[in-house]
Amino acid sequence: MKPKVLLDKVSLWSATAVVSVALMLSIAPTNVKAELKVPTEITELGKDTYKKYCSPCHGEEGGGNGPLARSMLPKPRDFTRGAYKFRTTPSGSLPTDEDIYRTISFGVPNSTMIPWDILTEEQRLSVIPVLKSFSEAFEFRKPDPPVEVGLRVRPTEKCIAQGKKIYEEKLECWKCHGIEGRGDGPSAAEQEDDFGFPIKPFDFTTGKFKGGNSPQDVYLRFTTGLNGTPMPSFAKELTDEERWCLTYYVMSLIKPEDDNHK
Amino acid sequence: MNYAKLNLMKQLFLLSIVAGFFGWNFIAPTDVLAEKGYTEIEVADGGTVIGNVKYMSGSEAPGLNLYRDWELSDASKTSSEKLIVSKINNGLKNAIVSLTDISRGKKKVTSVIHPLIDQQNNIFIPRVLAILEGTTVDFLNGDEVMHNVHTRSLKNQPFNLGTTYKQRISKKFDYPEIIQLTCDLHKNTNAWIVVLAHPYFDMTDRNGYFEICDIPPGTYKFRVWHEELGNLEKEVTVNPKEITTIEFEYSQN
Repeated sequence: MKPKVLLDKVSLWSATAVVSVALMLSIAPTNVKAELKVPTEITELGKDTYKKYCSPCHGEEGGGNGPLARSMLPKPRDFTRGAYKFRTTPSGSLPTDEDIYRTISFGVPNSTMIPWDILTEEQRLSVIPVLKSFSEAFEFRKPDPPVEVGLRVRPTEKCIAQGKKIYEEKLECWKCHGIEGRGDGPSAAEQEDDFGFPIKPFDFTTGKFKGGNSPQDVYLRFTTGLNGTPMPSFAKELTDEERWCLTYYVMSLIKPEDDNHK
Repeated sequence: MNYAKLNLMKQLFLLSIVAGFFGWNFIAPTDVLAEKGYTEIEVADGGTVIGNVKYMSGSEAPGLNLYRDWELSDASKTSSEKLIVSKINNGLKNAIVSLTDISRGKKKVTSVIHPLIDQQNNIFIPRVLAILEGTTVDFLNGDEVMHNVHTRSLKNQPFNLGTTYKQRISKKFDYPEIIQLTCDLHKNTNAWIVVLAHPYFDMTDRNGYFEICDIPPGTYKFRVWHEELGNLEKEVTVNPKEITTIEFEYSQN
């Protein structure tokens, strides 16, 4: 082999390597967030923030029974059982710190939990150890690793039709959420949460998903279930593609605002 | 005393109040379960306790419908299985007898074959299951409709899983606790799993009989748990290589 050809080969290979590395970096998920520094111990700041902003509804001892809680439905979360609705971890598991932080920061639409982005990041983070201290569960168990969210498929018509089939036949979501997704299925009226309060199945037509509006959020809700509520996890029932299809079907049930109030 | 400790105490206090309020449905009472710490020893001259759990009711026992099987089977109809009392000797089914204060005894052997709880015609079968800690239980949906299995345990990881026909899930229970299983789609049914810390327990059969063997000689507290009737307690002396007979009686009040 002549030296010049060898040189060409080397440069070709290195060029390929550089290009492939660049491709890899551009394809790789870019959701690397800034590290959240959650304090491990309860701080004075955390106690103050909880008392001032959280305890009026959630109660001084985290029992979900603050002075304002009586007039609210859905009720403020009772932290003593360690059951958090919006998680990335499997059914029944405790939430990760990021999950709690997400709910504090974004709030829960259709409820009295507002997005607490009026607080500084440090204040929001400092509350997390306070919330955890209310439940014994954090001493017995550790949060499971978050579930894997599969590669997203395209919301084709075929896929949405498949989602409809799952909604109506396979998982029978309509039994609670209703055939049109209005939360008025035959079993809807009798549902209650783990604390004995009545709970309404979600009305998809409002489009304000409690755990977030992105397809990934919707995907996570029925994959992980909502702890403390009758909403189960369907982790074992669906393949990855079926989950995306169900996600897109559920999102297709959203009705434009003015249609809602006819 | 630092803040964390104080806080823990406060929280335990609050938890006990909450437990009192919500009662059986939400937080299972832990006092039925044995104390912590159990040493495994060879039991050479163990005694046996056999006995009978009875429910004395003045009238016909509720929940025992003799005409049930004559009706057409209807998926929406479920039988009440809370209180099953034998007509012959008033024996109570599905009561769990256990020793509460045993600290050393025979080896814990968890079964390799997983106990199974099946959902058939919208009811859980069996209704009550007593297991040793560390046992894996399988849940099966035997119906052609959707079910879910929902637990509200605190120490063991709770779960709420939707299952379709023939779906089988396995869950391991690591801590002693009394756990209620419900299906949110079929409200009128539930099941109980009682997880115990040692192997000295038995569930009564349809005539209310139980047997616990290989107990090291000594005096122990025996406790019966039943989902509707609550607890009964009795102190029994177990002699080496002898059979002791005891009787528990729930009375109607």
